[in-house]
Amino acid sequence: MAETLATFRQMPLRHPRPRTAGFSAWCDRHFKWLLVAPAVVLILALSIYPLMFSLVVSFINYDFQVPGHAFVGLKNFERVVFDPVARWSLVLTALLSFSCVAIEFLLGLAIAMAMVKSFRGRGLVMSILIVPLFISPVIVGQAWTLLLQRPFGPTNYLLTQLLGQEVTISWLTERPWIYISLIIADVWQWTPFMFVILLAGLTSIPPNLYEAAELDGVDGWQAFTAITLPHLGPMILLAITFRLLDAIRLFDTIFIMTGGGPGTQTYTASYYLYTVGFTQFHLSQATAGSWLFLIFTAAVVTFLVRRLLKAEVA
Amino acid sequence: MAVAGAPRSRRRRRPFPVGTIARVLLLGFFLIFVLWPIYWMFNTSIKPSDDYLAIPPVWFPDEPTIVHYTAALFTYRGLQGLINSLIVSSAATALSALLGTLMAYSLARFNTGGPHLSFWVLSQRFLPPIAIVLPIFLIYRSIGIYDTHIGLILAYTVFTLPVTVWMMFAYFRQMPRSMEDAALVDGCTRWQAFWKVAVPLAAPGIVAAAVFAFIACWTEFFFALLLTSRDAFTLPTVFRAFIGFQGAQYGEAAALSIVSLGPSIILGVLAQRHLVRGLTLGAVRG
Repeated sequence: MAETLATFRQMPLRHPRPRTAGFSAWCDRHFKWLLVAPAVVLILALSIYPLMFSLVVSFINYDFQVPGHAFVGLKNFERVVFDPVARWSLVLTALLSFSCVAIEFLLGLAIAMAMVKSFRGRGLVMSILIVPLFISPVIVGQAWTLLLQRPFGPTNYLLTQLLGQEVTISWLTERPWIYISLIIADVWQWTPFMFVILLAGLTSIPPNLYEAAELDGVDGWQAFTAITLPHLGPMILLAITFRLLDAIRLFDTIFIMTGGGPGTQTYTASYYLYTVGFTQFHLSQATAGSWLFLIFTAAVVTFLVRRLLKAEVA
Repeated sequence: MAVAGAPRSRRRRRPFPVGTIARVLLLGFFLIFVLWPIYWMFNTSIKPSDDYLAIPPVWFPDEPTIVHYTAALFTYRGLQGLINSLIVSSAATALSALLGTLMAYSLARFNTGGPHLSFWVLSQRFLPPIAIVLPIFLIYRSIGIYDTHIGLILAYTVFTLPVTVWMMFAYFRQMPRSMEDAALVDGCTRWQAFWKVAVPLAAPGIVAAAVFAFIACWTEFFFALLLTSRDAFTLPTVFRAFIGFQGAQYGEAAALSIVSLGPSIILGVLAQRHLVRGLTLGAVRG
């Protein structure tokens, strides 16, 4: 049977078959392109065309407050580059996403290591730990607002009881607490992401490597650095890449928890572009800024994905 | 909950199980960390408004109330948002699963467009939404589909396509092609071999991809915020109404959160076997 199929597979696939009329023969011939066509057309229409359109808008005046659509050259880009709020938002985006991803990685790795060995109730623990992944970031922001808000939230009360002295932290209105609050919300939601991917990596390491190491008298830490980390390498890179590329878009929790405030202190890149475009209606300034942000993202993507591909080949 | 994380007692005697204790503590702490905000949200949603300011906080209300649920659903149009969310997420999921499966099959079986086409689709996943939402907003307004279901459905389809394409791409690649070959030999057209043989075989993969697409649409906020307003608004955007009220609407916000949590958590936990593939777009088989 298998041999017959192999022979058939080598036969020319376009040999004339009965009952194929002109149209369906044409469909059969261009089958592979017909299958990709709908998805490609949709992506072209709603992603590539908008990108090109926004590039055009970036070079003209498209502002609900200034009439006319004159060509203005690089003026829109200049406005963004010389805006201190824009620069701060980019710095904050980098700082916040880096801190979030670092904490999520370390915590996720620790939990993944704790979950590798099976124990009673592991399935239940697993189901609970992944729940945050399925919750809208808006709701995560809302939940942490409920917990941290003064004076309604219970957090300060709990800390007061725990530490034995009065705690009155304005979690959502004062620096640096506001940043810590945003990081806590992000860590709450996305640590499971790291944990799930790293756990998959850990379980795929052949256990006999550890047995051999134990026979050789290697201690736990050495086994970790010599066996676990090298085997986990590509998986770590993958998890960090995916998470980082989402973290730099941080918007939803900012919108709900701080509204960019106090002042403009919690503006991330996405939030800055949103306010410029949708609350001040400087549309061409916003599109110019989003192109700059896109280039910035593309640089990060290229850097990380290159390494990722290299690691997978190795 | 910490009890659930306790490891099975070992027969072998060990000096002192430092590792085990550390593990139980870590998992116990993290379980509390994960569950605490969800519990507090639930607690707030059934708490009478008078209990908000109580010190010490009310850990569980003496007289639970559903008044916040009715207010959130009817006064704040949460029900309308829920219905819109269901319509938009289901339609976008169906469309995305269909188009994604078609494309993935072509990529996996015929290597259409080489690696460039598949990586081009993948790159869409990493595109910052802010870069395309502004022009889409302008385009939608000019062709009259701003604040309509169809507009948001199309946007969500494009937004979830990379996930469905790549998950199905990985699925088709690890599926043997002999059945389809046999169908071709029996005189089926390529379309029949795909639709009547490959698709039924790939059904579990399609369902998994659809679940993750649905969750992505259900929890999405950014596109919905900017492409809808009074008519096609989805559940997550209803939360705008609760910002900046200095606590007066916390019960309503919490109630709406609890309502919104249900569908995506149930689907997600049911599909957890496919979670790793879903999160890594099929790159890692869990």
